[in-house]
Amino acid sequence: MKHTEKELINIRDEVNQMWLLVMSQLEKSKEALLRNDIELAREVISREKRVNTFELKIDSDCENYIALYNPVAIDLRLILSLIRIGSTLERIGDFAEGIARHVIEDDCIPLTEKLGEELQLKRMFDTLITMLSDSYAALEKEETKLSGKILGYDEIVDELYHKAIQVLAIYLQDNTADIECGLKTMILIRKLERIGDHCSNIVEEIVFYLDAKVLKHAYT
Amino acid sequence: MRFNQLNQLIAFSIFRILGALIVGFLLLILGFIIWQGVGVISWDFLTTAPTDGMTAGGIYPAIVGTLYLVIGSMFIAFPLGVMSAIYTVEYAGNGKIVRFIRVMTNNLGSIPSIIFGLFGMALFVNSLGFGDSIIAGSFTLGLLVLPLIIRTTEEALKAIPDHFRTGSLALGASKLQTIHRVVLPMAFPNIITGLILSIGRVSGETAPILFTVAAYFLPKLPESIFDQVMALPYHLYVIATSGTDLEATRPIAYGTALVLIAIVLGMNLLASFLRRYFGKRINV
Amino acid sequence: MIEAKQVNFYYGDFQALKDINMRIEPHTVTAFIGPSGCGKSTFLRLFNRMNDLIPGTHLTGECLIDGEDIYHKSVEIDALRKKVGMVFQKPNPFPKTIFENVAYGLRVNGIGDRKYINRRVEESLRDAALWDEVKDKLKKSAFELSGGQQQRLCIARALAISPSILLMDEPASALDPVSTSKIEELIYHLKKDYTLVIVTHNMQQAARVSDKTGFFMLGELIEFSETRKMFLNPEKEQTQNYITGRFG
Repeated sequence: MKHTEKELINIRDEVNQMWLLVMSQLEKSKEALLRNDIELAREVISREKRVNTFELKIDSDCENYIALYNPVAIDLRLILSLIRIGSTLERIGDFAEGIARHVIEDDCIPLTEKLGEELQLKRMFDTLITMLSDSYAALEKEETKLSGKILGYDEIVDELYHKAIQVLAIYLQDNTADIECGLKTMILIRKLERIGDHCSNIVEEIVFYLDAKVLKHAYT
Repeated sequence: MRFNQLNQLIAFSIFRILGALIVGFLLLILGFIIWQGVGVISWDFLTTAPTDGMTAGGIYPAIVGTLYLVIGSMFIAFPLGVMSAIYTVEYAGNGKIVRFIRVMTNNLGSIPSIIFGLFGMALFVNSLGFGDSIIAGSFTLGLLVLPLIIRTTEEALKAIPDHFRTGSLALGASKLQTIHRVVLPMAFPNIITGLILSIGRVSGETAPILFTVAAYFLPKLPESIFDQVMALPYHLYVIATSGTDLEATRPIAYGTALVLIAIVLGMNLLASFLRRYFGKRINV
Repeated sequence: MIEAKQVNFYYGDFQALKDINMRIEPHTVTAFIGPSGCGKSTFLRLFNRMNDLIPGTHLTGECLIDGEDIYHKSVEIDALRKKVGMVFQKPNPFPKTIFENVAYGLRVNGIGDRKYINRRVEESLRDAALWDEVKDKLKKSAFELSGGQQQRLCIARALAISPSILLMDEPASALDPVSTSKIEELIYHLKKDYTLVIVTHNMQQAARVSDKTGFFMLGELIEFSETRKMFLNPEKEQTQNYITGRFG
């Protein structure tokens, strides 16, 4: 194998590690939120730095790779995808951190256990984590067969989001005293919805890398 | 377009005719000599000495004499010529002295051969006291072909691209090692060509041996390098111009010419075979 | 370690190199880039004294290899060239067999031990990533090899005498892309055992194989820095213009 190929594999490894880290961040922020576990939330916040470090490292490695090796064709697509996947993962990491901060700072989430279930937060989290791990597997196996299915999960997330807004609205009509908490909850749900969009972007990057097809904005 | 094609046709036709003409003349001369001379060729003709005032008998002493002169002159001219060429090409650079040497070498090459004969007589025969002898004749003939050998060897050496030399030097080889192990083996086939040409030249020259070695009539073989010998070209000249009975010796003259041509041709063939052999071995 | 201190070099009256200072660490690949006639090849050839072959040149300043001034009177050029191997632009194998080409450097250095020569030939051909392709035809002429193989043979030939430094003057510029890529890969791996200095017209090649890059222009060393730094964020505007192709 040529040394330039090895370099590329190194960068891929870094992205994979970052991916796993972000997935575990999301997993932990979910646990922290659902179980209102402050300790776990603190851990998520402190590990956010590692996510950022990964992004910087991947950025500079990709810059060097492009500057030194002038990749073309599939190598160029891979390196471009990896840069964008890196920064997308970093944003997902930010959201996970945001959720964790929520747990620490706002003592009203979930408002009640019953409401939490009605909002289907757990299902939303799980769908997002599935999206992340499925797309991780897709890149690992270099397969885009499942991309449609993964993108379909985003629609589930959107649906859950809209339902959750309705549930929240109905709840707040009856409990006007909780309105501030309610708004913060809405921001939190909104974050989950955004994570879904970012996961879709990652799938699109994988398709761009493997099939050279641009899915971005294709369905708008 | 059509005009161009016509032009081309005419030009090529002229070239073809000229080429055919040259080959034609060569074949004509060869054919004439063979036709005239082949009749007297026999084993006896090649292995016996002339008899009856050179109107009968063979040309054996002349053949042997010519061979001795060829060998002798090559012994002198070949090492000298090759070494001078190595000096001028590989060592001397391109300064004024080298250019002077080169001009002088060329001048030496254009001096008429009779002058060499006179010079050889003055220096080798008289001053050095060799007398009319193989050694005096060999030196004279050697000097005559020296420029030819130097020139062909120089060309052979110059034809070797410099990157072979730098490649060898870069491996820590000395200049002498480079010449010995890389340059000379590569130049060898072309140097051999120079040798062939000089052999042809030497065996055909009459004037330089006239005053230095050639005997008018000497039916016995030489015993040392200080003896005189007969030589084919001179023998041919003698029996063609100053024999006792020119008409009667005419077939012998043509026979001698045929033998001379055969020797030169044979040497050329041998040398070109050698050249091809070495060329193949070197380029494996 | 190679060091140049205040090196000036002249072809007759023409100054080809101006006040060059450079330090090259062992076991690295250093690339010299720059437009034609910028002096990069001249500078390279200083280190095995190949420029000595050109009449009318002279040098000021110091060229040191492992702390020793290689232009000092006591230095034997043959010994220096044994230590500092060189590979040229055009593959130049000798008209000998593959085996004899590699053995040449050993033989001219007075080595006659047949076993040792056999071993070194095999090792060198392996190091040059050529062994598998030629092991069954060592007695064949080197001219039967392709251009890329010939160039690797020349590298093997240079490696056979165990130099510590290998100079390469545009080693891949006469080769096709596949052979070029093989040579580049070889260069990258050779730095484990050798210090390599390579002159190249091909900036991408410099980027791909080297640790540090020197950019020359009009006989001056404009910039000498880490290759990744030079190709991402060069210090000098001239370097930037050259490597981005905006030059001249």
